Amino acid sequence: MISAPFDYVRANTLDEALALLAQNEDAKILAGGHSLIPAMKLRLAMPPLLVDIGRIKDLSYIREDHGQIQIGAMTTHYQIESSDLLKKICPLLPECAGHIGDVQVRNKGTIGGSVAHSDPSGDWPAAIIALNAELVAVSKNGERLVKADDFFVDLMTTALEAGEILREIRINKSNDRTGQAYAKMHHPASGFAVVGVAANLTLDRNGGCEKASIGITGVSSKAYRALAVESALTGSALDEQKIANAAAHAADGVDINGDLFASEDYRRHLAQVFTKRAIAAATERAG
Amino acid sequence: MKIEGTQELHAPRDRVYSALTNPGILQRCIPGCEALEKIGENLFAAMLKAGVGAIKGTFKGEVRLEDMRPPEHYRIVVEGKGGVGFAKGSADFDLEENDGATLIKYSGELQIGGTIAGVGQRMIQGAAKMMASRFFAALEAEVQRTTAIGEADLV
Amino acid sequence: MAAKYVGKRIKRTEDPRLIKGLAHYVDDVRLPDTLHVAFVRSIYAHARITSIDVTEALKAPGVVAVYTGKDIATTVGPVPCAAALPDLKIPDYRVLATGKALFVGHPIAAVVATDRYLARDAADLISVDYEELPVAVDVEASAKGGPVIHEQFGSNIAYTLTSGEGDIEAALKSADHIVTQRMVHQRLAPVAMEGRGVLARYFPGEEELTLWSSTQIPHLMRTQVALMIGLPENKLRVITPEVGGGFGSKLNVYAEEALLAWISIQLGKPVKWIESRRENMQATIHGRAQVGTVEVGCKNDGTITGLRYNVVADLGAYHQLLTPAIPTLTGLMLSGAYRIPAIQMNVTGVFTNKMSTDAYRGAGRPEATYVVERAMDIVAAELKIDPVEVRRKNFPAKTEFPFHTATGLDYDSGDYEAALDKALNLSGYAKLRAEQAKARAAGKLIGIGMSSYVEICALGPSQAMPAGGWESATVRIEPTGTVTVLTGASPHGQGQETSFAQIAADELGVDLNAVTVIHGDTAIVQYGIGTFGSRATAVGGTAVLIAIQKLKEKAAKIAAHVLRCEASSLAFEGGRYSRPSAAAASAVSEPDVAVGEAPAGALPEPDTEGRSTLTIQEIALIAHIAKELPPDTEPGLSATYFFEPKNFTFPFGTHICVVEIDKETGETKFLRYVAVDDCGKVINPLLVDGQIHGGIVQAIGQALYEEVVYDEQGQLVTGELMDYALPKASQMPWFELDRTETPSPVNPLGVKGVGEAGTIGATPAVVNAIVDALSPYGVKHLDMPARPEAVWKLITG
Repeated sequence: MISAPFDYVRANTLDEALALLAQNEDAKILAGGHSLIPAMKLRLAMPPLLVDIGRIKDLSYIREDHGQIQIGAMTTHYQIESSDLLKKICPLLPECAGHIGDVQVRNKGTIGGSVAHSDPSGDWPAAIIALNAELVAVSKNGERLVKADDFFVDLMTTALEAGEILREIRINKSNDRTGQAYAKMHHPASGFAVVGVAANLTLDRNGGCEKASIGITGVSSKAYRALAVESALTGSALDEQKIANAAAHAADGVDINGDLFASEDYRRHLAQVFTKRAIAAATERAG
Repeated sequence: MKIEGTQELHAPRDRVYSALTNPGILQRCIPGCEALEKIGENLFAAMLKAGVGAIKGTFKGEVRLEDMRPPEHYRIVVEGKGGVGFAKGSADFDLEENDGATLIKYSGELQIGGTIAGVGQRMIQGAAKMMASRFFAALEAEVQRTTAIGEADLV
Repeated sequence: MAAKYVGKRIKRTEDPRLIKGLAHYVDDVRLPDTLHVAFVRSIYAHARITSIDVTEALKAPGVVAVYTGKDIATTVGPVPCAAALPDLKIPDYRVLATGKALFVGHPIAAVVATDRYLARDAADLISVDYEELPVAVDVEASAKGGPVIHEQFGSNIAYTLTSGEGDIEAALKSADHIVTQRMVHQRLAPVAMEGRGVLARYFPGEEELTLWSSTQIPHLMRTQVALMIGLPENKLRVITPEVGGGFGSKLNVYAEEALLAWISIQLGKPVKWIESRRENMQATIHGRAQVGTVEVGCKNDGTITGLRYNVVADLGAYHQLLTPAIPTLTGLMLSGAYRIPAIQMNVTGVFTNKMSTDAYRGAGRPEATYVVERAMDIVAAELKIDPVEVRRKNFPAKTEFPFHTATGLDYDSGDYEAALDKALNLSGYAKLRAEQAKARAAGKLIGIGMSSYVEICALGPSQAMPAGGWESATVRIEPTGTVTVLTGASPHGQGQETSFAQIAADELGVDLNAVTVIHGDTAIVQYGIGTFGSRATAVGGTAVLIAIQKLKEKAAKIAAHVLRCEASSLAFEGGRYSRPSAAAASAVSEPDVAVGEAPAGALPEPDTEGRSTLTIQEIALIAHIAKELPPDTEPGLSATYFFEPKNFTFPFGTHICVVEIDKETGETKFLRYVAVDDCGKVINPLLVDGQIHGGIVQAIGQALYEEVVYDEQGQLVTGELMDYALPKASQMPWFELDRTETPSPVNPLGVKGVGEAGTIGATPAVVNAIVDALSPYGVKHLDMPARPEAVWKLITG
């Protein structure tokens, strides 16, 4: 388990990191390393240069600014899991963080690294979609905002372009009729999501479902928004039957991947089950 | 692992067939294919830099075209080997006319070995699908281009 | 023996160094000028190697040498197989592939470089051309035909064997019912926390070689490696430093061990190889991998009349040390905890293009226990009687021991009903069944499973073993009074530095801290057999005990001489010999020669004038100074004993497991886990609990999670812990443990062994619970691992 030779630079500023990326198109950003380093040790990834952004000041923060939650890309899973602020204003994030890997992984791994890596079974992408987050990508040419729905492109492929670094994740604060939940089946070996469903619901004043936002990971080559589920939920009160009917659409039109642990049929079924569970829990919390 | 699917290309069948058997076009369509040189009758040496995200591997190998029945059928056999292991596969392509367009039905087997087989289990299906979709997207662009500029400019 | 320590929950003396990171494993042994080896391994399951080009690798920075099959074909002997079976086909297993590669991970070339990074980089520069060959992967298909792996044998069948006693045909004919079930014992990877590692250092001047290896069998390895590389055995020293687990996977002699030794001789320098996890998954032995069908005949009242098990065993491509012998242990244990008048096993050992199988925690016995305990539940279901009653009906009574089985064994001692009853009480079985009925009515899938197991331990006598069924001990009291125990056992996590010290401290009446247990160095320790098959305490611990008894005979002679009385009249109490008159009064009146109190640089001359008592530690000093010895007495105070038991020991117990199945997902959740184990006399309850805990965890791993999967091309697709699902602490239930204690008559300690009991007993309990939970759906059996999808499919039909 010895990686191929590579150069390593610990960038002191974001500009320095961006300049290094611009000079070397095969360089990779080290942002926690809990996916990249194992791949390198197996020589499945052999980047000639690692640009470590772990010491860059001001990439690790959780703050609230004018109704917007801002999370720095280098914020660790543990920092999110244990954030009192997030537990109050965006509980989906701490809940989701608690499902990632194990304590050691959560202490080292970062939300930005994970989102940019876009593992098809990663937990964050489901939450990012369900929260309608915006992602701030920065390059030498400046910043741009990417919507969650546009960010996850294909298997481990995101909207980030060569030379771009994910800097921040922005989420609009929800109101007090919002309920959120993450439901997941853990792969017994890797801990990744066999299926993970993030639900973010807002009820109207009469208890009807005003807005539903559902992100699903683990099922396909990338995390996706379960549009059919969302539209089946919106507009009326959510009872058990209504939720089950909506959840039945969890994998509609999705190209499902099977593997040793879960076939395509079983994954479709799990997507429905965990969608139902996530919605039920979110509904209860919204009420 | 089985790979199968259908893909509609917006070009006449003989055009699609000739694109599918044209080494220059194939090289441009196969994701990561850096070289495809003819080394025999329907036999090509290939160099492939394939991968998704941070995971990348270089493969050297051969591409062989078999069982050619223009414009309706052929089989492509690919074998490659590299530091991360090997991949080999074959796929039968059946082309059907479909109202001026062409429906490609493909059905094949993909086998991988070495490191990628032992660690990529949960990703392989997704990676294969992604390669296929990129291939067909590029092929569509190629047949559109060649339809526009004519057969002579192939390669 | 005054039991000051034996039987007490004493914390392991090994643990502080392990917890503080101060222990030394092979990789922690750093020698100057060490060269490092990286292997090129086959990426094909079956292929002819048409060429190997090492030119580029040889030019790479730091590379000292590259070796391939042709370099070792005539210079290093084959990887040994110690199993002796009639007409066994033994392929020539060279330390590097010669001609053909037969499994993914088969070593093809070894690169030696000045550091391990350069070695690994250079390995990528070696170009191997293969001609792929058809593969034999499925064990049942490979038994019938298909591609032949070893052409010289004409088929993939390595051996066939029939075992058992009684007229099985008649027994089945006399039955009212015959139940038949096919069962798969999936292939498992042992995955010791520390992988294998080898450091070889040749001293060209002395023509001696020292081999550090992470092994369970230092002495057997010395013998075998010496033979493989043609070095006189007494010029080879094997040192086993700290070993981070083995589970049987290090009860072996591997290609890498002999190859590294040979390379060190070639280059005259130390060479090291530390296994990566990926190599560990590919090229360290696997376990289980049997597919069989059991037939059990029973009367209407549940009495078992006979059992037949037809099984194919997936051996892998080659034999490692014990590969073909493992299924024979299954045959031995097919009577389980029951009186079964006729038993037959027909086993076919089959070569496949995979890594060899061999001993993995339980080694053949978990398979037998699983077959028998699943069969008991299937019989109970067939007859619609409680699984408890079927078991009770067929137990031999405790008065029937030694109990002869139709597998040819004589169980030493047992009280199976007592363990069963204790487990039933502890679990509240009747109440559990009532709760289950209620839960079922409410639509919940609750299952209760049990397993009443017997296992075979304390491997000896020698007649029953490939190479020596004994264990050795030397006990020495040093001049300063510290006690050194040299054991031929080779603990690698079992805690015998503690438990053997407990035995010695009690028997000698000294402080536990005065005892040091040394193991795992063939230059220090007399020949030994090693640690496997739950044998170390029953056989090696007994050797320690008897060696001490021998030592005390001599100590008593010296004491009698110094105290001027008859040896037979001396009393020994609290580590002190006393003259008859002094025995009662004086024990506390005279100072001990306590450990560490001797002035630096000088041995205190004991003043024996007028003494009426002497501590055994004072006697040790007298024995070494040797001025006051009785005539014809050797100086020094040590004794050695090689203990060979006359029979195996047979631990037993009952495990009860309660699970709930998630109807929607098929996931299994534990509600209770109760285990009552009887491993004979207990030296240290804490260690016994630890062994039971770990054993159950690995059993649950097999029942629910683990499976080594090769695809149809023989590619290992569970090559990392990302896909190979080891059990995790967070997935485990709380273990409710208790014991019964039935001493073994086989050894004077009365101990039986406990290293594998949990693994053997727990697997069927878990699967029985799952099947019980699914019984409303008409489910009679499911194969392991009980992955959620498989369970879900049974629920949804």
